[in-house]
Amino acid sequence: MELTASYRFDVPPTALWPLLVDPAVVASCLPGCEALEPVGDDSYRAVLTVGIAAVTGRYEGTVTLADQRPPHAYRLVVTGKGRAGFVNGEATLELHEDGGGTRLDVAGRAEVGGTIARVGQRLLSSASKMMMDRFFDCLRKQTAAPS
Amino acid sequence: MYPADFAYYRASSVQDAGRLMNEHPGAKFLAGGHSLIPLLKLRLAVPPALIDIGRIVDLSGVTVANGRLRIGALTPHAEVAASSDVATHAAALADAAGQIGDPAVRNRGTVGGNIAHADPASDLPAVLCALDASIGIVGASGDRTVPASEFFLGMMTTALGEDEIVTHVEIAAGQQHGSAYAKFPHPASRYAVIGVAAVIAADGDACRSAAVAVGGLVPAPVRASNVEQAVSGEALTDASFAKAAQRVGEDLGDEILGDLFASVEYRRAMAPVYVARSLSAAAARARK
Repeated sequence: MELTASYRFDVPPTALWPLLVDPAVVASCLPGCEALEPVGDDSYRAVLTVGIAAVTGRYEGTVTLADQRPPHAYRLVVTGKGRAGFVNGEATLELHEDGGGTRLDVAGRAEVGGTIARVGQRLLSSASKMMMDRFFDCLRKQTAAPS
Repeated sequence: MYPADFAYYRASSVQDAGRLMNEHPGAKFLAGGHSLIPLLKLRLAVPPALIDIGRIVDLSGVTVANGRLRIGALTPHAEVAASSDVATHAAALADAAGQIGDPAVRNRGTVGGNIAHADPASDLPAVLCALDASIGIVGASGDRTVPASEFFLGMMTTALGEDEIVTHVEIAAGQQHGSAYAKFPHPASRYAVIGVAAVIAADGDACRSAAVAVGGLVPAPVRASNVEQAVSGEALTDASFAKAAQRVGEDLGDEILGDLFASVEYRRAMAPVYVARSLSAAAARARK
């Protein structure tokens, strides 16, 4: 499954970057995030409860912010599994200066397996997009908040 | 697979259902069960309790009163498909209800359950949007009515709160228009790969106004306003429908659902075909 999206922020990359790599901010914006604990090397152990309609599941995994080039780009590597299935994904986040603000481009791919992939395949990309939209909407609100 | 253990409660009224939901956080309302039970069996949903609202009698049935066609939330699809009132006032809805799943689904599945679940591949959401239906809801904070266009917010996401229940769907009765639903069903599941509902008001051989809503290939139904504008004022001919239907690409947005059976590109290419078919069928009824 391929995922691409673009988000626009009113703050420049130098102001957005610290939020994107701050585990407290990421944890507060990641939908259903119950825990995000550092395990070294820019890696975190994550526990998420993700739910859409009646389908809710608890997933445990690791999130790694690799190849960091502040404030331009990093590679997000996610692995996780839960009762309903597993996910292995990787995405590149690129921050581009855009008229005083930032255009953030996300391009990635994810492998999803297990029950959720067998029966929910047609819904997965839309569900992923919905979570991504919620994450970046939340981040956008954080950039607007007084620091 | 067997579902995980859950407690079962039967509600005698909507008030009772609300009270039970309060007492059992995380519970799910059970109506016909034709979306929820499969999720339970796959253990994709593991609610601690089910609150069965299926026997609340005053939530079922089709009536016409005060210029409104009213369909109770617990009315099964088969009853909607067979109703002469629905055929008269909202033919597209009868079309769609008769094409949902298989006979077992149509006899047990309910209108309220279908729209509360809001599967993107469901038939009814697009039809209700095209017909400008309103959706009656009851919850702890009281009764409210939401237009269909504001009810379906995204994939399996609606304006319905956790403790709220859909009570009915209402559509203006006695409108001088024809409506129809055209569907590309998935050959195995009968879910809509593409589903298009069209409503046409005729002025002689011309189209006075049109409403078109598309579902199946988008996370939530969209009104095809470019198609609606393109067809309004034009002759009611298949040539003008085919031309107007080409505009649907501009209405769909950039998020098209694809799967192993039908890719994003294929669905995008097929959408105008079903838009044109629904317009043609609606026009045939509008002329009568």
